[in-house]
Amino acid sequence: MRPVMNRRTALQLGAFAGLGSLIPRWALAQDGSVSYWHTFTSQTEVAGLDRVMALFAEARPGVTVTPEAIPNTEFMTKMTSAVMADARPDVVMVASERFTDMAAMGALVDITERVNGWERRGDYDDSRFAGITDAEGRIYGVPAFSFVDWMYYRKDWFDEAGIAPPTTLEEMRQAAIALTDPSKGRYGFGLRGGPGGQNYIVNVMEAFGAPVQVGDTLSIDRDQAVEAIRWYAGLLTQDGAVPASAPNDGFRQVIEGFQTGQTAMIWHHTGSFRDIASRLEPGVQFGTLAMPAGPAARVARLGYAYHAMSSEANADAAWSWINFWGEPDAGIAFLEETGYFPASTTVAQDPRISQDPLYAPAAETLGFGSVYPLFVGYPAWVENVVLPAFQEVLIGQTSPEGAVDQMVAGLEDASR
Amino acid sequence: MSEGRFWALLLLFPSLLVITAVVLYPTATGFLLSVQELRLNRPQLGNDWVGLRHYADMVSDPVFWTSLKNTAVWVTASVIIELFLGLTAALALNRGLPGTRAFAVLILVPMFLPNIVAGHMWALMLDPRLGVVNDILMRLNLIDGYKAWFADPSTAMGAAIAVEAWHSFPFFTLLLLAGLKGIPEDLYKAAAIDGAGALAQLRLITLPQLRTVIAAAVILRVIGLVNSPDLLLVLTNGGPGRSTQVLSLYAFQTAYKDFDFGYAGALSVVMFALLMVFAWAYVALLRVDRD
Repeated sequence: MRPVMNRRTALQLGAFAGLGSLIPRWALAQDGSVSYWHTFTSQTEVAGLDRVMALFAEARPGVTVTPEAIPNTEFMTKMTSAVMADARPDVVMVASERFTDMAAMGALVDITERVNGWERRGDYDDSRFAGITDAEGRIYGVPAFSFVDWMYYRKDWFDEAGIAPPTTLEEMRQAAIALTDPSKGRYGFGLRGGPGGQNYIVNVMEAFGAPVQVGDTLSIDRDQAVEAIRWYAGLLTQDGAVPASAPNDGFRQVIEGFQTGQTAMIWHHTGSFRDIASRLEPGVQFGTLAMPAGPAARVARLGYAYHAMSSEANADAAWSWINFWGEPDAGIAFLEETGYFPASTTVAQDPRISQDPLYAPAAETLGFGSVYPLFVGYPAWVENVVLPAFQEVLIGQTSPEGAVDQMVAGLEDASR
Repeated sequence: MSEGRFWALLLLFPSLLVITAVVLYPTATGFLLSVQELRLNRPQLGNDWVGLRHYADMVSDPVFWTSLKNTAVWVTASVIIELFLGLTAALALNRGLPGTRAFAVLILVPMFLPNIVAGHMWALMLDPRLGVVNDILMRLNLIDGYKAWFADPSTAMGAAIAVEAWHSFPFFTLLLLAGLKGIPEDLYKAAAIDGAGALAQLRLITLPQLRTVIAAAVILRVIGLVNSPDLLLVLTNGGPGRSTQVLSLYAFQTAYKDFDFGYAGALSVVMFALLMVFAWAYVALLRVDRD
């Protein structure tokens, strides 16, 4: 039988393969393939990404996107390792609070010129880029969608008890106490004292007059912060108006607690609207409210998810994918699947958003909301110092004064 | 150098190269990190040598001491429970009763689950709202209300140890069962003739014969427990407060949340040293090489 391949053919193929490996990487990059790291893991998020990718493939067929989902909790671990190993992807998703750390460690590429020359730059209010611009004015990404902090409340319970929806923290506390009935397994408020709850602690402190960052200055007004911690932890330790599991309750527990009728109010952002609406009827069983005002300020965060370039290896293709999220079709498609607000000011004026009364509190929040504190080390400080210190108050291991002292000391370390 | 010795060294060279690349180089890098400034998000601090500064900082770091104490509790309790359960299961499986093979596979199932999966599964089962464990305990009148196991500092560590023991006792079962198979049956027959009962046989034959296996299994498990933060990361993230904070979790948070690889490196070196001292002391105490 005649062999399929003789020795000469095999040698020729080997030589071609060897030559092929010498083709420079930029030549292969001409096919426009983009590696993309994101944190979409829920069913709705994955469906939203699929739709945006399908639209992208149709609109810009020359570029192929290879997405990789990384759970939010593991994202910075993977990103840090990628920076250490110089193996960064082309495009990464950047949450607001992570920007300063990622920029400082060299994980992001300056794309100021591309953004300024982009034909859709005018669709965005300048403030949308504040959270992805460094102190020298360099822009590192484009906002893809936003999360607006707000409050969900059990409208049916409030109506039944004849209680008006709260507009201040004190009204919220009184409502929480009134709606608590441990014998029925009902609590007034689902306090997130576990993973992810750290930002709310900082927000409450700011609402009581102890902002962490004013301009470039980092400091905490101890007396106001103590009052804030005493009030917030007191919802559990004094009022008993939150479930006993609060010190360990993270996203899942807080959302489930509300969905299953354990809690009357929770704080989260617009991103969980679809999840909650899948179990409770919007406008009948639950409603939405702007975050209640504290004694000194009304605080709600406007969080953005940005798309940024992490490697310049496929810069043009990467930029094509990044700016596609600013197209109205992409923003609306993603909103339809996930409920996440488009970051583009123009797209956010779509009637499906602006005429829905349940989204009115989010629109109101856009008027007074602020971005997360922007300083290097903020995520580590809130997660590794603020949260454990607050938990210690919840479980009676320290006083509000002791917790605030830990926070102050940690902030001094973080600001060095 | 004789020709034979030359060839021996030459043939050993590839192995030495591999060991250097995969063992010595990373270990040495870890040591070097611990005496360097390396904060990824603060490049302005540079990468200068800082000598033993990180180690000195550790002495006055209350989180380090809390983590050290919790690590001792976490590891000691877990290993004792796992060894006891593993030995019991191995002895039962070694009796050769009907259905033993099926049980052997079933007993190993927890170990097949990755730590992260096991952690999430138990977090749901112990959930204070929806967890089946609370439901069962309530029906049995063992608790008077649903308990938030991981939110209470008096139960958080205990609950985490219970999950860890469930997950890893099959490791001991597997190794001890292999060890049991290697004990000559004649020893038990002779002991029976001499009038030794089951307990005496366990104390005088089984345990001494398993000494080496137990030593190896305990050392491996201790290394695994000291170095792996993943189960606690999922179940408690070190909380509430610092009540379940252990050294590996602290090192992980320092490296990947604070991006302070220098201090994290120093924490890792301390863990490394503690493990070396433990392994040496344990082997010496057990006199594993006596036979």
